[in-house]
Amino acid sequence: MKKMKKWMAGALCMSVAASLMSGCGQSKGSEEKELVLFTWEGMFPQEVLDGFEEETGIKIVYSNFDTDETMLEKLAQAKGGDYDLVIADDYIVEAAIQEGLVQKLDKEKVSNFKNINPLYQGQFYDPADEYTVPYGAGIPLIVYDPETVDFEIKGYEDLWNESLKDSVALTANYRVINGITLLSMGKSMNEEDPAVIEEAGKKLLELAPNVRLIQDDNTQNALLNGEASVAFLYTSQVTQALAENPDLKVVYPEEGLGFGIMAGFVPSEAPNSEAAFEFLNYILEPEISAQCFDYIGYYCTTQAADDLVNPDLVVPDSVTKGEIIQNVSEEADAAYNKNWTEFKAACD
Amino acid sequence: MISKKKRITWAALPLYLFTILFVVGPMIYMTALSFASNKGGYGVEWTFTLDNYRQIFQPVYLQTFGQSFQLAISSTLIIVLLGYPFGYFMSKLRAKGKSRMMLLIMLPFWVNSLIRLYGWIIILQTKGVLNGILQNLGLIEKPLKLLYSYPAVLLGMVYALLPFMILSVYTSAEKLDWTLIEASRDLGAGKWQTFRYITFKLTFPGLLSGVILSFIPSMGLFFIADILGGNKIVLVGSLIQDQMTRGSNWPFAAALAVVLTILTSLCIYLYSKITHAEELEGM
Repeated sequence: MKKMKKWMAGALCMSVAASLMSGCGQSKGSEEKELVLFTWEGMFPQEVLDGFEEETGIKIVYSNFDTDETMLEKLAQAKGGDYDLVIADDYIVEAAIQEGLVQKLDKEKVSNFKNINPLYQGQFYDPADEYTVPYGAGIPLIVYDPETVDFEIKGYEDLWNESLKDSVALTANYRVINGITLLSMGKSMNEEDPAVIEEAGKKLLELAPNVRLIQDDNTQNALLNGEASVAFLYTSQVTQALAENPDLKVVYPEEGLGFGIMAGFVPSEAPNSEAAFEFLNYILEPEISAQCFDYIGYYCTTQAADDLVNPDLVVPDSVTKGEIIQNVSEEADAAYNKNWTEFKAACD
Repeated sequence: MISKKKRITWAALPLYLFTILFVVGPMIYMTALSFASNKGGYGVEWTFTLDNYRQIFQPVYLQTFGQSFQLAISSTLIIVLLGYPFGYFMSKLRAKGKSRMMLLIMLPFWVNSLIRLYGWIIILQTKGVLNGILQNLGLIEKPLKLLYSYPAVLLGMVYALLPFMILSVYTSAEKLDWTLIEASRDLGAGKWQTFRYITFKLTFPGLLSGVILSFIPSMGLFFIADILGGNKIVLVGSLIQDQMTRGSNWPFAAALAVVLTILTSLCIYLYSKITHAEELEGM
């Protein structure tokens, strides 16, 4: 997720720089209300930020961080103050909540809360949906070329199909690949039971003959230049693959999705929490949400915007299961590592 | 006398400092690290343990060492077969031919090795140059899957390390005393006998240093295995890199590195025992 973000940051650098410069000349009186937004660079299209300022008269101060960890550090230093709204990755949001740096949402003020897709709710970092509003999801998915694959791929299990010998490209994240193996067995991606992890390791070894390559960067190229006929790709790679070859098929695996979510929260001592709630409510408006997700290119977490946003960024209704990869115990992590090394060694 | 000796010591001081700071220091740190415990994340706990070394004896890691050795041996064999005659006959060329040949060997070094490897991808990929030629000649119907395989990695290793063999054999053959060969022929030895007892014996140190110079790096050139092998062939080098980054187990990575260092030092020790040479030929 972070990697994708870096990529995006690079690509959007220019437009953000340009928009920041255009913002310089418009400074208004200091008595005006301010909203300090703390997130990665390039997370909102300028029209959305401008639109909010116009509608509410609240000036947005866009402050950005590079990594989730720096965000948490700065927020902890400010003891939950200084910033009004933070958007970051799931696991770090959990840490912020645990450290007491987050306040509960005032759902009366965020009346559009109902617009959120329930698929992305009730997740580990906020099980009762008290603190956060999801803002975009990254979902690694199976993509294949129907011209070279002679059956319909429906889920992870199909990657093991014998006809796919030496034709599958995989991303190189050991937890994700262990995770989809567990999902194909009907288990959780965050399994801690050593026996089950070992079983997954054995199953993973059976996938080895089908693996063409394992690579984290530009994995979609293997699919586009014919090296592989099936690929398991990150969201940004799926988007790029489809842009190059719209005939490729995207599979939302029937066993359930593994995803990463970015979520917005209001820090415990936010100077202007009212404005933050107002902004959260604003970006949950269907039209505004659609603009946002079209711009950042992540999966749409606002269900009410599903009809308006780029259809490639909407998970079909048939998919109801999704899980986030979380930190596991050291023993389990070591077992996942071992599975991965054995798997790679078996690949050739 | 004393002052002269002193001067030499002073002149060598920067070298000593450099060696201590950048070679001995890190080695000590690495060895110490290999006995420390891993503390989740990127943390290291400084409590003594032998677990890191014990872990190496797990089948999967032994297998990695085995695979690395196997690849190193195969690539070195091919390099010997190609590089020895090349270096030998190169030394027999006239001065002009020699310098031209040298230029041709050195030329690729001006280009970054990663970029050269990407060149191989263009040649080997499914819709690549080689498959195109073979298909146009009608030799194959469907494109061959050449990339991301063991032979592709082998090819990459040979390609990357062949120059070292050629240069070591060349240097050694250059120094060859041709009068000895003439004498041997005069004394009635056949071509093969002369080669075996004179030429080969005298160029043997060059050949061995070429072997060392290609064998040792081929266990660690993980980027070749990554790029041409699609990350599927795990070498000790890739394992160390993996443990340093993704696995975030620095002590284990250090233990692997220590074992690899010992194994390679052993190779160099054997080399000096066999050839009685003080340093590698062709360096």
